[in-house]
Amino acid sequence: MSSSLLVPQHVAYIAALGDSKHELSYHLSAHLRMNAVYWGLTALLIMGHGDALDRDEMIDFVMSCWDEEAGAFSAHPDHDAHLLSTLSAIQILLMQDALNRVDVDRVVKFILSLQQPSGVFAGDAFGETDTRFSYCAVNALSLLGKLDELDVEKTVAYIRRCRNFDGGFGHVAGAESHASQVFVCVAALAILDRLDEVDQPTLCWWLSERQLPNGGLNGRPEKLEDVCYSFWVLSALAILNKLAWIDSSKLEAFILSAQDTESGGIADRPGDMPDVFHTIFGLAGLSLLGYPALVDLDPVYCMPASIIENLGLRKGWKALQRRTS
Amino acid sequence: MDLPAEEEQPLYSQRPEWADVVPLEQYESVAPLAPIFYTDEYRDATNYFRGIVKSDEMSPRVLELTENIIRQNPGHYSAWQYRYKTLMALKSPLDDELQLMDELAIKHLKTYQVWHHRRLLVQQTRNPGPELEFIANSLQVDTKNYHTWSYRQWILAYFNDDALWSHELDFVEKMLESDVRNNSAWHHRFFVVFQSGVRNGDEDRDAVVRRELAFVKERIAIAPNNASAWNYLRGVLDHAKMPYCELQAFVLPYSLPQPPLDTPPEVVDLESPLPSKDAQLPCVAAVEFMADIHEAAGGGDLVKATELWKSLANEHDTIRKRYWEFRIAESLKTKSAGDG
Repeated sequence: MSSSLLVPQHVAYIAALGDSKHELSYHLSAHLRMNAVYWGLTALLIMGHGDALDRDEMIDFVMSCWDEEAGAFSAHPDHDAHLLSTLSAIQILLMQDALNRVDVDRVVKFILSLQQPSGVFAGDAFGETDTRFSYCAVNALSLLGKLDELDVEKTVAYIRRCRNFDGGFGHVAGAESHASQVFVCVAALAILDRLDEVDQPTLCWWLSERQLPNGGLNGRPEKLEDVCYSFWVLSALAILNKLAWIDSSKLEAFILSAQDTESGGIADRPGDMPDVFHTIFGLAGLSLLGYPALVDLDPVYCMPASIIENLGLRKGWKALQRRTS
Repeated sequence: MDLPAEEEQPLYSQRPEWADVVPLEQYESVAPLAPIFYTDEYRDATNYFRGIVKSDEMSPRVLELTENIIRQNPGHYSAWQYRYKTLMALKSPLDDELQLMDELAIKHLKTYQVWHHRRLLVQQTRNPGPELEFIANSLQVDTKNYHTWSYRQWILAYFNDDALWSHELDFVEKMLESDVRNNSAWHHRFFVVFQSGVRNGDEDRDAVVRRELAFVKERIAIAPNNASAWNYLRGVLDHAKMPYCELQAFVLPYSLPQPPLDTPPEVVDLESPLPSKDAQLPCVAAVEFMADIHEAAGGGDLVKATELWKSLANEHDTIRKRYWEFRIAESLKTKSAGDG
């Protein structure tokens, strides 16, 4: 157990992710590889160690996932283009200052082609629809400076249909409120300057209700705490300027207790195996809570705040003040 | 006596009936962050998958191959996609495919593709009844599975058959009997009752609201410390545009530290069922509810609201102290605005 953030161990953990040759689970998650690289890089940047992974190799990997037929990025060289991996690719290239490698026009065409008549976005030609994909589309278009090509009203109208009686949002119209869907809907609305669609008092109360006596956050009522909700819930609260409603010292203690002191990395809860997904979201949560010596994170984009600010895309969110010790 | 060793399937590269396919290796020059390593089995299967995709083959052996890959890695969405295209091209019997999916779904309940594939199949078979049964069974295994509940909602809305809808309230009631705190079940009930149109027999919306209030009150009485039930109660009141004070008589006993002493046990007020004997009181959600009632009443009642919020901040729900202090501060603002 540790009561402080083990930065060197986490940096080493992420840098070693590419060495998992003996792990079956590594290649079974090929369909997540682009996302994993984005998670790893963002985590390193939050800790101020963005150079722990080779920049050129990373850019080469991203470009090797370009699906020439679709005009977008896949998760792994032999996979089909997908909105999730396309967003991650754009984010990685932006963080590596290599966005000029993207064929913007083709990517924009790919993204817009995935919008359905109802206003929701599909993830790929297979047709799975989810508000996560609406967020990916809105986020990617805004990072590419092409938000004006989006039918905003249509996009917002679908998100509105996903708003539930408890103030939360689901993954499709009619689906149960879930913290990860709350994040993607609120963040998408923030980018589109449509936070008026959020029932803020009800939703912010629902979000603060996610905190359990052990300090951790869950994703919906009566479910278990999980470190990743430290990001989904916290970012939504930060965007809505209600981050103070979480008991931050209890949450911090919870996140820190989920660190793997031997191998580095953060797990979903104390005692479990770490993975890069929970590592980034634990770190993102800590950054928003003002944990000392971490880089400021933009909760809307889950990227370093300075990069988003330089693009003129910063919205009115508020994180907790960074402590000096 | 030794049991015979389990028969291992030979690799595709070793099978003569696959000799005509050119397997394609994983793209070689990738960065160390994404190194290539496969077990022989997975590598072999995905090599042959790349081969048949390149030649655009859609045949029964492709179904075998994609099933193989999906079993090893249900997240391989390209394999799912190609499998579906092949099923359509071959005009395969989809009921058989659904049966196969039944088996895979139980193993891989949290994988999006498993449910999405079913969705595509059912749009072809147009036979939703067995799907609802399948969903009910898989919910026995994982009662709150987000995909499963969402799929159920999709089936109901897509086919929009009164006969299918008519069983849903019973279904939710059964799920809540096993676990009255199942948030997915409560959400589903709201969806069925209030968010899916008006069906035959439910035209009297006031009667529907009364029925739902009675339902949720009974469940709160059984287990008061249940956020889902209180959220449902608020949802019904908000939907019906009923002021919260109409529930004051019901809520009050739950907001007190002890159950009322002077109630004869044989008197059961159906409008206001009392907390069960072993309920932990006061119930935080009830205290919050009473505070909301007082806040809405305004004037002198704001003091009562503040007292309740203070008790939450300092005693009953200290983890959300900042939230309760915010409520107090907000009401003081309203008060001083009113006094001006």
